[in-house]
Amino acid sequence: MSSSDTEIARDTPDPNALLGPGETWTSVTENISRLPLDRPHPRFWWLGFAAAFALLMLLMLAISWLFIKGVGIWGINIPIAWGFAIVNFVWWIGIGHAGTFISAILFLLHQKWRTSINRFTEAMTLFAVACAGLFPLLHMGRPQYFYWLLPYPDTMGLWPQFRSPLVWDVFAVSTYATVSLVFWYVGLLPDLATLRDRATSVGWQRVYGIMSFGWRGDARHWRHYEKVYLVLAGLATPLVLSVHSIVGMDFAIAQVPGWHSTIFPPYFVAGAIYSGFAMVLTLVIPLRSVYSLKHYITDRHLELMAKVLMTTGWMVAYGYFSEFFTAWYSGDEFERFLSLNRVIGPYAGEFWALVCCNILTPQILWVRRCRRSPLVLFCVALIVNVGMWLERFVIVITSLHRDFLPSSWGMYHPTIWDWSTYLGTFGLFLALLFLFIRFLPAIAMAEMRNMVPRKKGDSP
Amino acid sequence: MGASFALAGISGCNRQPAKEIVPFTNPPEAGLGREGLYYASAYSREGYARGILVEAHSGRPTKIEGNPNHPESLGATDAETQASVLSLYDPDRSQTPMHGPSTATWIDFENDWAPRRTALAQAHGAGFAVLTEPTTSPTLLREIDALLQRWPEARWYQHTALARYDDDGTQTDYDFENADIIVSFDADFLIAHPAALRYSRKFVQRRRRENNNAGPNRLYVAEPTLTLTGAIADARLALAPTEIADLIEQLDRAFGLGTDDAAPASAGRSAPHGSQRDAFIQALARDLKAHAPRVALVSSNTLHSESRTVLHDLHHRLGALGVAVKESPAVRSDSDARARGDLHALVDAIEAGEVSTLFILETNPVYASNRGRFAEALIRVKHAVHLGTRRDETAHRCHWHLPASHYLESWGDLRAFEGTASIVQPLVEPLYQTRNAAQILRLVTGLPAKSDYDMVRETWSRNAASSFDEDWRDWLDQGVVPNAVASRIIPQRRVASATTTAPRASTLAASETKTMFALFRLDPNIGAGEGSNNPWLQELPKPFTHLVWDNAALLSTATAQHLSLENGDVAEFVAADASLHAPIWIVAGQSDNCVILPLGYGRTAAGSVGNNHGFDAFAFAPPDGAQQLALREIRKTGKKHPLVSTHGHSEMEGRDLARVISVDTKATEPAGETEMSLYPDVHYTSYAWGMSIDLTSCTGCNACVIACQAENNIPTVGKEQVSREREMHWIRIDRYISETPNGTRVVHQPVPCMHCEHAPCELVCPVAATVHSSEGLNEMVYNRCVGTRYCSNNCPYKVRRFNFLDFREPAGSTVYLQKNPNVSIRDRGVMEKCTYCVQRINAGRIRAERENRTVRDGEILTACQQVCPTEAIVFGDLSDPQSKVSRRKREPGDYALLAELNTRPRTTYLPKQINPPSALPV
Repeated sequence: MSSSDTEIARDTPDPNALLGPGETWTSVTENISRLPLDRPHPRFWWLGFAAAFALLMLLMLAISWLFIKGVGIWGINIPIAWGFAIVNFVWWIGIGHAGTFISAILFLLHQKWRTSINRFTEAMTLFAVACAGLFPLLHMGRPQYFYWLLPYPDTMGLWPQFRSPLVWDVFAVSTYATVSLVFWYVGLLPDLATLRDRATSVGWQRVYGIMSFGWRGDARHWRHYEKVYLVLAGLATPLVLSVHSIVGMDFAIAQVPGWHSTIFPPYFVAGAIYSGFAMVLTLVIPLRSVYSLKHYITDRHLELMAKVLMTTGWMVAYGYFSEFFTAWYSGDEFERFLSLNRVIGPYAGEFWALVCCNILTPQILWVRRCRRSPLVLFCVALIVNVGMWLERFVIVITSLHRDFLPSSWGMYHPTIWDWSTYLGTFGLFLALLFLFIRFLPAIAMAEMRNMVPRKKGDSP
Repeated sequence: MGASFALAGISGCNRQPAKEIVPFTNPPEAGLGREGLYYASAYSREGYARGILVEAHSGRPTKIEGNPNHPESLGATDAETQASVLSLYDPDRSQTPMHGPSTATWIDFENDWAPRRTALAQAHGAGFAVLTEPTTSPTLLREIDALLQRWPEARWYQHTALARYDDDGTQTDYDFENADIIVSFDADFLIAHPAALRYSRKFVQRRRRENNNAGPNRLYVAEPTLTLTGAIADARLALAPTEIADLIEQLDRAFGLGTDDAAPASAGRSAPHGSQRDAFIQALARDLKAHAPRVALVSSNTLHSESRTVLHDLHHRLGALGVAVKESPAVRSDSDARARGDLHALVDAIEAGEVSTLFILETNPVYASNRGRFAEALIRVKHAVHLGTRRDETAHRCHWHLPASHYLESWGDLRAFEGTASIVQPLVEPLYQTRNAAQILRLVTGLPAKSDYDMVRETWSRNAASSFDEDWRDWLDQGVVPNAVASRIIPQRRVASATTTAPRASTLAASETKTMFALFRLDPNIGAGEGSNNPWLQELPKPFTHLVWDNAALLSTATAQHLSLENGDVAEFVAADASLHAPIWIVAGQSDNCVILPLGYGRTAAGSVGNNHGFDAFAFAPPDGAQQLALREIRKTGKKHPLVSTHGHSEMEGRDLARVISVDTKATEPAGETEMSLYPDVHYTSYAWGMSIDLTSCTGCNACVIACQAENNIPTVGKEQVSREREMHWIRIDRYISETPNGTRVVHQPVPCMHCEHAPCELVCPVAATVHSSEGLNEMVYNRCVGTRYCSNNCPYKVRRFNFLDFREPAGSTVYLQKNPNVSIRDRGVMEKCTYCVQRINAGRIRAERENRTVRDGEILTACQQVCPTEAIVFGDLSDPQSKVSRRKREPGDYALLAELNTRPRTTYLPKQINPPSALPV
């Protein structure tokens, strides 16, 4: 889409506008930098942060107990040797896809509407990846030896086993986290300089000054900045696709029926973007209303994100269909049994719940009014988040619980520690988000200023 | 010989017996070079000897193997014998005498006893009684005799939980090599019999394809509930005890007064399976006629005595005596005329005021006897003394409790079911202040105290040849006493049945078929509670139900449906004068008119491991000692008990997992094609280890599971962890159950690690902690494992086990003394699995290299292979085309489990071959 033909009428609000009426460079900078500098709505912030912090402490408790007793405190067993830790890992890393997708891929595709949400979603990505990154470590039987998965020259000449997708995972996730962090930080530089300039206390001037690496808004700075930003966007783009492809391969490489499927990499990427956008909506809708950012994150933004949600939702639905079709078409008795077991087995409830959440619910977004209704969108996004978690649960658990030999079939019963760890990561995620909102600009000011039309008829 | 007397094994801080013990001259090959030594000894299974070799490391016994020289072992053992080594180190064992609730010393006891002894001696022992289990030990019998000689008024009683083998002074032995047709009437002779190992070996040898020149035998089984013997039957009927009596009657008529065929006379009596039953009996009668005299009708003490007379008679008529059936005087002392009878006789005597002092030696009648008067009668005994390895229920009710020695720490002797005598040779000095029964008997009458060693030597030096010292060493070395010697030394006892243990068989009228009966059976793993405090036996999945750490009332599917009961529902079983609350479990192949109540659970003083598991069926068993009880009603209580089974699913889901073929079927040739793979094939230049498991031979006896546990230091995890599906056994016995016209069919399939050529686990491990060895083993490097558990997910056989928690015993526990020093104890968070006993392979290879040769076939035995009574498991070098395993794998029908996954397992299976009667469809 292009907004070049959009007439910005100062008096009649345009429903398709990407920026509220009456915004100027000054107002953009003032309104956005108000958040880290003036810190409005302290009660909302403190209550939210306290809740997040409590959950974070729950996570600390769960991790401490885990390190004291071992992974046996969870519900995992033989045959279901992977449980919540892997479900949550895939779920969080999926959520971590929206940010880079929005800021890199949409940037390269010249989707201007990404501007107002990219900063926030990139932060969300980083925090989600942080949560995701915890799980493989906690999941290990002997987490103290996590570094054995890294290729370092050890005295015994031992290397990781490169045929294992878990090693690929280490590279994929760590690269993704690094590039996302750099991309996010580079994007922050001009804004940090703005905060330095506007901060009233010397302390904050110093802090922002150091963080902005001496940015002065020089033309040369801008030239380098834009090049770097473009290059990083180019670098991040394939990573968006590779990370979740490789997470998909964690399953696809195994020969477990229900995992061993070539469609997994693309299907996982689609699912990741799906869940990522759902999480963005879940967070952005309350954020823009609490901090009165509706001028910057408009209904138009929400509608566009809803459309992405629908599109990726259908991709995911196609993935489900394809899995069942392949199972039937292959004639493989184990695959066929697995499909049947998903639909009518002991975990059929979870399966049908995920179909309702991920395929049926988003169909409401065909209606334009629903797409533009923040409340409806918020609910749909929440349901999709639940559905995507269920999807990972169904993939991990139902595939493992009844595989080849009926003698070894089993059931999975998550324990209180499984749930504590999962809920605890919400604490980590939300606590980081609250800190981010409080100390850094949640919307890219420099980029937003470009969205302000210079004069009537100009391209914003 | 001389070399074997060397001061072998004396190294480290061991406590070897002061008397010389003699290591085994030709130890099992697997053991050599592992710094371990073998000593021949004997394990008492219900009083009968089972010849064993005990492996010792630094003087501590760690593992038990069968003694190949022993006729009732033939080199094999069973689960119970395997587990007995752990009981030696049981932290709950009695360590000192106990006077009431307080600890005491042996001196205290002797001082306390001296005045009582004087008083008793004056009365010639009047008022004194001793209660033992029936025994075969010549020394113990000699000491009992000495006591009875010295104190003629003293009385000896015998008690055993379920009288089984020889209550009329004779015992029946079977030679299955000479039996073409075998019929079992509720006799689990492959498992629950003192000669089970020999029976299993001989029975299965006739069935294996490689031995088919003799022609496979055919087994008919009629039994109320599925036993492992019934599971291997070619034709099987689930019948209530009364129906079995009818069946025997019918059979009797069929061979009676010249009647040609077995008329289905009692058709309609058991309508539901009338036709199946008629077909069964017709086929059976025809087979018996065709194959007489090479037939064996195996009966058990659960049968009506009339039925047993009929079977005895039939043996005569069919001419089977002397061919496949042998009757001989009893070896065990059940019918010893010197004894005054069983527990009932003792209770009668106590109530008549004839017993004021009672010694209870190594038996636990307060727990292990039917509901009744004994516990109350015991209160009336003025002075009761208990000798036992632990302070059990009986000990708690006696004035004194004396700690008894474990058989691996005291000298003794025993005879096997077929008569062979063995010396029980200890490997260690008693760990605690313990003595054995024979020593106590001397102490009772004040005979000069003698060491256990001297007592046994004295028994055997009587009437001995001049070369006794040399013979003695020979016996210790070989583990058996030659029969010629034994018959000279063991005095032939008078046999009279008047004062014997009363037969406690069914006394039911045949008309009571409609009644529901509770049948009391020993627990397949822990017996009548002897194994209660042994965690290996508690965690061993029971046959068919795969329950652990619990017993359950077993119900047929139809009965459970009728009562709308599900697995784990607690039901109330109501008899005329008692009731019992017990959780139920539904089993296939059980008569609808029976409930099976396994004994041995509900212990209150078994020890920290065995207490408070399951329900006590003894408390419900009828006071007259019968093994069955008519039930009035079974009520649903609405309560649940968390029963834990390791194997919930018993169907194969139409998958080709455990194959069954009929003997007439032409077995398919092994598929020669190998599938393509992206990875290059490994070329093996040296040994290529492999295994073949014959499903025809496997009886599902579980011996391999415990042998593996003992050899490889496998932890037990407890009921709660098993309920979370975290049991650690490296080899498991899968069982698949189906209904066929020939009765319930069960296939047992032992599943160890398959050691795949293309191992899916190796591919996915991120740190290369599981790797392929140059000899084709799939190796697990514990130290490298970080515990991602991906390997287990990717293992289609699910043989990998994970240390989810720290499953090691608490530091400093005595059970560490049992651990095999050649196998690492695994840390928390580490994956483990079957290694094909790599420590044994390495020892064998090193030995061969030292002798500058290659490993000989059969030189390296895995623990599961070595223990197997039926030689179902064969391990060896696949690169040697003449090795036994190679030959087995060339047999038609050899197949790999889940071969379609192209994992190319080194472990392959031979299908289960059945020989159903031709009259019946397969």
